[in-house]
Amino acid sequence: MSEFSRDGDMYSLGLSLDEAHILINLVEQLLELLGEGDFNHHYDESDPLAQLMAQLKAAPEEITVPEDPVLLRLLPSAYADPESAADFRRYTEPTLRGKKKRTLVQVRSALEIIVDADRAGIIEDLDSETWLMAINDLRLALSVRLEVTPDSYDHFETLSEEDPQKPIFAVYFWLGWLQSSLLNLLSNG
Amino acid sequence: MATDTIIESDLDISQLIDKPWVTIVWDDPVNLMSYVSFVFMKLFGFTAEHADELMMQVHTQGRAAVTTGSREEMERDVQRLHEHGLWATLQRDDKF
Repeated sequence: MSEFSRDGDMYSLGLSLDEAHILINLVEQLLELLGEGDFNHHYDESDPLAQLMAQLKAAPEEITVPEDPVLLRLLPSAYADPESAADFRRYTEPTLRGKKKRTLVQVRSALEIIVDADRAGIIEDLDSETWLMAINDLRLALSVRLEVTPDSYDHFETLSEEDPQKPIFAVYFWLGWLQSSLLNLLSNG
Repeated sequence: MATDTIIESDLDISQLIDKPWVTIVWDDPVNLMSYVSFVFMKLFGFTAEHADELMMQVHTQGRAAVTTGSREEMERDVQRLHEHGLWATLQRDDKF
């Protein structure tokens, strides 16, 4: 399995073609969910991962509490009080959404080079914090769809190979492992 | 702990009068413990020890007050925590 590596202040990530495909599919779906559709997506509609985030795409005209639970997790309410939360969201949500989109767009550009070359590759001199945040948002998004709990790993291990959730959980745990590898590098000086 | 004035101000009555708002981070089963500590260090300049202590408080008690200050300051902190995917809210300090 691939992982991040570091040489001084330079971070890189070598990916197999399959891994790059999985990542770009998820990144593109999350971008579309966040309202960024200005690209030709790479995923095939028949991909079992393709429909994970395809629900409730139509964005309301006004900025309100998102109906989609993935969006609500990525763009949470800042106040328990609905009125204060709505006010805060009106002023701040476009900025938050924009930052998340920019992070994902940056990651997508790097992945696209591998996917379009159609072979395994190394993403060199990547921005470690951009990748850290992008992977975290992908994990958060998947966790909502998978209804992750603290016991999910045990649950995953009991799933049969035929269970349609099995590969999605596998991707979720792989992303956690990938993120851990980057965090280890970042915290070692 | 001398440099951790933001958290120590929790106990300072005069600061409470001026700075009655608090940023709460809530536990979730997804964010990695090492990631939460990393974000606390990055955003608030906490030492690794202090960041880990707050992270463990979130993990074991379900939530932790990470910063206190004016409403505007806490709104900024919540926004930055949301950018990093942490589940955060702000409220008046007397409700925590």
